[in-house]
Amino acid sequence: MKPDPLYAAIHVSEFPAQSILRLRPDLQSIAVVILAGSPPQERVCALNAHARKRGVVAGMTRLEVEELGSIHIHSQSAETESAARLVLLETLSQFSPRIEEVFVSNACSFILDIAGSERLFGPSDQFAQRLRDAIASTGFRASIAISANFHTSRIRSEFFRGISVIPAARESIALASTPISALNLHPDQYETFALWGIATLGELAALPEEQMITRFGQPSRLWLALARGSADHTFQPLEEKLELKEHIEFETHIEQLDALLFIGANMIGNLVARASCRALSLASIHIEMSLERSLLYKRLIQPAIPSEDRKFLLKLLQLELAAHPPQAAVISLTLTADAGRQSKIQLGLFAPQAPEPSRLDVTLARLKAMVGSDRVGSPALLDSHCPGHFQMRDFSVVNQPRRTPQSNSTCTSLRRIRPPRLLYIQIDEGKPRIFRDGTTRFEVSVAYGPWWSSGCWWDVDRWDLEEWDVMATTSAGDSISCLLVHDHLNGKWLLDAYYD
Amino acid sequence: MTDHASNSAFEILPTHPQENYIELHAASAFSFLESSSAPESYIERAVELNMPAMALADRNGLYGVARFHISGNLNEVKAHIGAEIAVSSFGERLTPPAHLPNQCPHEPPRIVLLCKSQTGYQNLSQLITRFKMREATKAEGAATFEDLKEFSEGLICLTGGEEGPLASSLANDGESAATRQLDRLISIYGHNNIYIELQRHRERQQESRNVSLLSLATKLRLPIVATNGVQCATPQDRELLDIFTSIRNHTTIHEAGRLVSRNCLRHLRSSREMQEIFRDLPEAVANTRIISERLEFTLNNLGYEFPCYPVPDGETMDSFLAKRVDEGIRKRFSPALKRPLLERALQQSQRELALIAQLGFAGYFLIVWDIIRYCQENGFLVQGRGSAANSVVCYALEITAVDPIGMELLFERFLSESRGEWPDIDLDLPSGDHREKVIQHIYEKYGALGAAMTANVITYRGRSAAREVGKALGFDEQQLSKISSLVGHWEWRGANDTMDRHFDNAGFDVRHPRVAKYLELCSKIADLPRHLGQHSGGMVICGGMLNRIVPIERASMPGRTVVQWDKEDCADLGLIKVDLLGLGMMAVLKDSLELIPKHYNHQVDLSALPQDPLVYKTLRNADTVGMFQVESRAQMASLPHNAPACFYDVVVQVAIIRPGPIVGKMMHPYMRRRQGIEEVSYAHPLLEPVLKRTLGVPLFQEQLLRMAMVVANFSGSEAEELRRAVGMRRSMQRMRNLEGRLRAGMTSNGIGQTEQDTIVQAISSFAMYGFPESHAASFALIAYASAYLKVYYLAAFLCGLLNNQPMGFYAPAVLIKDAQRHGLKVRPMCIHRSESVCTIEHEADGSLSVRIGLNYAKGVRQSTAEALTAIRSSDGPFQTIDDLSLRVPELSRKDLVMLAQIGALNSISQVQHRRDALWQVEQAGRPVGPLLRASSSASTTDKLPLRKMTTDERLSADYSGTGLTCGPHPIAYHRVHLRSRGFRSAEDLAHCENNTWVRIAGCVIARQRPGTAKGFVFLSMEDETGIANIIITPDLFEQDRVVITRNRFLDIEGLLQLQRGVIHVKAKNIRPIDITSADMRSHDFH
Repeated sequence: MKPDPLYAAIHVSEFPAQSILRLRPDLQSIAVVILAGSPPQERVCALNAHARKRGVVAGMTRLEVEELGSIHIHSQSAETESAARLVLLETLSQFSPRIEEVFVSNACSFILDIAGSERLFGPSDQFAQRLRDAIASTGFRASIAISANFHTSRIRSEFFRGISVIPAARESIALASTPISALNLHPDQYETFALWGIATLGELAALPEEQMITRFGQPSRLWLALARGSADHTFQPLEEKLELKEHIEFETHIEQLDALLFIGANMIGNLVARASCRALSLASIHIEMSLERSLLYKRLIQPAIPSEDRKFLLKLLQLELAAHPPQAAVISLTLTADAGRQSKIQLGLFAPQAPEPSRLDVTLARLKAMVGSDRVGSPALLDSHCPGHFQMRDFSVVNQPRRTPQSNSTCTSLRRIRPPRLLYIQIDEGKPRIFRDGTTRFEVSVAYGPWWSSGCWWDVDRWDLEEWDVMATTSAGDSISCLLVHDHLNGKWLLDAYYD
Repeated sequence: MTDHASNSAFEILPTHPQENYIELHAASAFSFLESSSAPESYIERAVELNMPAMALADRNGLYGVARFHISGNLNEVKAHIGAEIAVSSFGERLTPPAHLPNQCPHEPPRIVLLCKSQTGYQNLSQLITRFKMREATKAEGAATFEDLKEFSEGLICLTGGEEGPLASSLANDGESAATRQLDRLISIYGHNNIYIELQRHRERQQESRNVSLLSLATKLRLPIVATNGVQCATPQDRELLDIFTSIRNHTTIHEAGRLVSRNCLRHLRSSREMQEIFRDLPEAVANTRIISERLEFTLNNLGYEFPCYPVPDGETMDSFLAKRVDEGIRKRFSPALKRPLLERALQQSQRELALIAQLGFAGYFLIVWDIIRYCQENGFLVQGRGSAANSVVCYALEITAVDPIGMELLFERFLSESRGEWPDIDLDLPSGDHREKVIQHIYEKYGALGAAMTANVITYRGRSAAREVGKALGFDEQQLSKISSLVGHWEWRGANDTMDRHFDNAGFDVRHPRVAKYLELCSKIADLPRHLGQHSGGMVICGGMLNRIVPIERASMPGRTVVQWDKEDCADLGLIKVDLLGLGMMAVLKDSLELIPKHYNHQVDLSALPQDPLVYKTLRNADTVGMFQVESRAQMASLPHNAPACFYDVVVQVAIIRPGPIVGKMMHPYMRRRQGIEEVSYAHPLLEPVLKRTLGVPLFQEQLLRMAMVVANFSGSEAEELRRAVGMRRSMQRMRNLEGRLRAGMTSNGIGQTEQDTIVQAISSFAMYGFPESHAASFALIAYASAYLKVYYLAAFLCGLLNNQPMGFYAPAVLIKDAQRHGLKVRPMCIHRSESVCTIEHEADGSLSVRIGLNYAKGVRQSTAEALTAIRSSDGPFQTIDDLSLRVPELSRKDLVMLAQIGALNSISQVQHRRDALWQVEQAGRPVGPLLRASSSASTTDKLPLRKMTTDERLSADYSGTGLTCGPHPIAYHRVHLRSRGFRSAEDLAHCENNTWVRIAGCVIARQRPGTAKGFVFLSMEDETGIANIIITPDLFEQDRVVITRNRFLDIEGLLQLQRGVIHVKAKNIRPIDITSADMRSHDFH
């Protein structure tokens, strides 16, 4: 016989603050606020009770908090919160395998399906107490509500501190004093209820349903059901995360890449096979190695599209290791993959032939191995006066109309030197006359300029550059046309480009 | 020498090498958001750079030329006048190539036109007017080739920089297209009046363009000229220029990309710098000097003439005016009481008319007379104010209502030979329709191009600066709102009222570089023009075509046009204006005069109001809420001391409570003498007749003139010259000369050295701040009329006040509470009784009451209210809310909610209370479907689902919906409790002794921090019994600034100060007190 439904809701308020404070007992007795955002626009996103007593409210700026004095300020950390969430989840999973996460701003909320758990954990009040103790042992303070109705337990845990055990058929009484803000309504609807003098769910629940429907339509049926503790819910448990991970520790430390690849090939094969069982491919592979001298090695392989081609993935691994060989003998190897949907490419009959994605990936990986990963992709100009201001974007083949061919007239092209070469320069009458790049001495025959640009004066990225287009000759008679740059902010002269 | 240099125009004048370059293409901040420097900054910089002349060319206008010219005159820099003109026929201006990411707006190219002669200036002005007026609304507009051709004479054309037509033609279509554009310009301006403009800002593309331009110049034998396309005075101003660019393009500086400047070379550069830059093209620099020589025109030669007034054949304007004045005097002085003054009035008028004829101002007086006649014929109230009331001519023409003969006012204060400027007549009209009709009459009479409103240049101020700069720098909306709300507008600014303090309070860290830059830019942007508005009432009228004198453009308001200069610019350049000012109190008087016969069965003639003892008693009791000029906190505090008993006392009262007499330390001596505390004395017996009326204390500017005339035998015009010299402190030498003459005159009259010093001291200290007696008299007439109407016709007066808000010192809620304390019933808004405005109703007991009109329901449009009342009177009352909703479809759901919330629907029979109405409103107009109909009809008889509003909820609804309540004052509900805690009411204070420790609670209705009060703050706190006055010391204010400025209700303890019936509480402890959540607004001054 199917047991009666029963839910336990756990609400950890001020989660950004709690996730930090659980690890810092020294801060628990003082006022602490957590700021989100980047300077100078940081705002309080969470705080502890001591800070609240001192008059801090969410949304204050750093300066306002500082003016209150003696308040510990901490920046929000997504990583700490994520780790804290996992700890909490792990604790809850000891009580029920069926857990649903509820998203509440600034808090961490889970609801456990605990139907039929009385034999294991005792009646509801004992269950709640044990649950709270377990959570408290991990450093969190949580409100817990147990009810046969999913939403009742959720709302009750969010708005009432401590433990609430709501007997069946008493849901509406339990929720009666809850503020109406517990419902996710449009601001106009809140305004209407405020005018009506409806401030709590109890007052809302007392309104006649049919007449509410004639005024607000069907959504009002749900509001009333929520307020009366009778709203239905289909439980959506968190699924166990598919972890595609292979790990091996070597008895004898490996120094040869070939040997490593031999083992790596098997590991990739296993990962692909496990993913394929779920009709998935590998979107990326994280390579982690423990090396001698306590060194760590971390790299990432990310094909353009998720793949299940073992050979191709192994090739990428080989290229990555070739480009970034481990600096010491390998003690252990871990491959962790992120799964992705199996990809299919629709080729058009009249579309131009694009390179096969896997081959393109291999090519790009080879290029990255040669020149560095931040130097491969499609350059995109930025809307800025700063000369050569661009960013690299991931290379992608886009079907776009071919540009009209350029006229046959010869064009001068500019070949940028990266990094620009530092020069020693001699100025005569305001113009560069002689410059040396460390090895060669150039005498300037013609100099055009200066061309001047400066900008971003409001930020740390500001620039102030003076450019000269020069023709110069060496003592050996070789001549070059090049672009010299005088970086005023750093006081340097640089050889920035050649005109070909 | 190159080919183009062989042109005769290239002859280089022998000049000092440092002065070879004249900047001919500079935009000021009047190119709105395209430049970051004021015209005066350019002149200052030109002086620093030793540049003898400079041209200003703002985008599509001559907005800044008046200020540029005046500053140029003062600094001996020749101010050339020009403008950048957008020409749509050229296509589109240059934008970056399509392969670059950019967001350039599409605009027509602009050429620079400079004025060689008066004809050139007139043509430029007409050209701008032509394309501006072609637009249906306020807009930039653009000229066409046809416009350029029609108004080409007297102008020199420069081809512009990157915004010019050649830059776009060369970039898009090459040299042949550019040649065509140049040919077109040559056909319009002639070969000798076109210069190809070269600019060098260290940009490759620009230099490449310059090569093409030089080639074009050689080909077409056109001269070249160097300019810098200036957009700011100094290199440092580039930052603000970039901010302006971001504001103009509605983006942030981070996202502006190529819209902002490439480098900081767009500033005014020295001749040496420009010669160095154009070392290879010396003729380009030399030609700036040649062009400057050719630009003979300056604004000294504007050619403005005041319009003639059409007179019948055989008459001159002078003779016609004399006849009208004679008729007027005989009419004005016909009543028996005034008949003895007739002869003196006629003599005075002869003297005035002779001077008017001599100065050629007859036309001006006749035009103003014509406006007055128009108002009279149409039944509009009108009254002249200001120094015009000194003139018997103005009195005779019914321009003013004050009798200058009876009041012995001095004509020279209004008009004198030595003034050197036009007379200034301001006309007060009821604000609203009547004033608009008069303005439209003037447009009609003088034509769309013969009259226009003066402009009002809106500049960046604390709040707007903080908001717009912050937005451009990418700060978020929430922070910007916070800082905007903190930038106060107090008149007095303490040491902590600085921008960085406001930033601090708003939670900005001024130590952060980005915030520091924000702060710096906010102070730099302050006072720079933001956009052009229209002046509240100043109109310029011109004899010829006004558009030849100054460009005219459309105003935002339909049917209005404005000139491109503001009031001061017009005055500086000698344009005469008539001020048609909307005065709220005139509208109240007008409304009251209409209501009184209907509801009181009386007729009131404002020109013949009796001198009534009850009115003076009310004034002496400072019971003046709602009265004109005498209702402010400071006026109320002085009225019991000055104890007005006749009309002249009101004149003094109006004049004395002003910053001038307070700063000039005139107020207290007068008040002490008035109270008999101080003896009335005179610096010299000769002054007794002059100062007798003001008890020996000089208060009025006219008295200063008379003092000089009596003690030193000055003529009227000499005395006026003395007043102006002292007042303006323009020339020390002139001051010394006049003082010498004054002392010589006094010596000849036998006045001793000590007395002379006292008199000179009195004159110089008070000339700055004195108030014209005539102006005070004009205002006193209105003040007395308002007092009379309030005392005898309170319902009509309150109705007028409520229907003409916003105006005056107090909010409608305070006016209503005051009227209720005077026994008038005020009825709440009712869907069945209220009209679209507040009205008077007759109660069953025969008394009158005021019904709040639908105009006080926030958000309900006037047209909706009118539709509702029309349907109600034609089809009868509304049976249900559904009936109302169906019969008045204009009523939106929001309107119905508002009316239900404030109780206006309670009179509908099926409505039991406000919440019941709100419940029904949600279903109004939404019929129940067949499925639910049965249950719906059954439920109507059920218990009402929503409970009644509590008192506090009703108050909140009243204040949020109408800004007022007709029920008891919120404090009244708490009185018993407050009394038990030792609080006294405002009324109780009158029974306390001096220096009693008192505690009061009330609603703050006004906060003042006057500039003259050295940081003291004055609060007016209202409760159900009246208004209490609180004084807060600067220290206490600093300590409790947030409590005092943010809270609506305060609990104040302090010492009671009682002086001759004037009660103040000097606050010692201030705390907020929780009375109601209703949103009651205070009127904070400024």
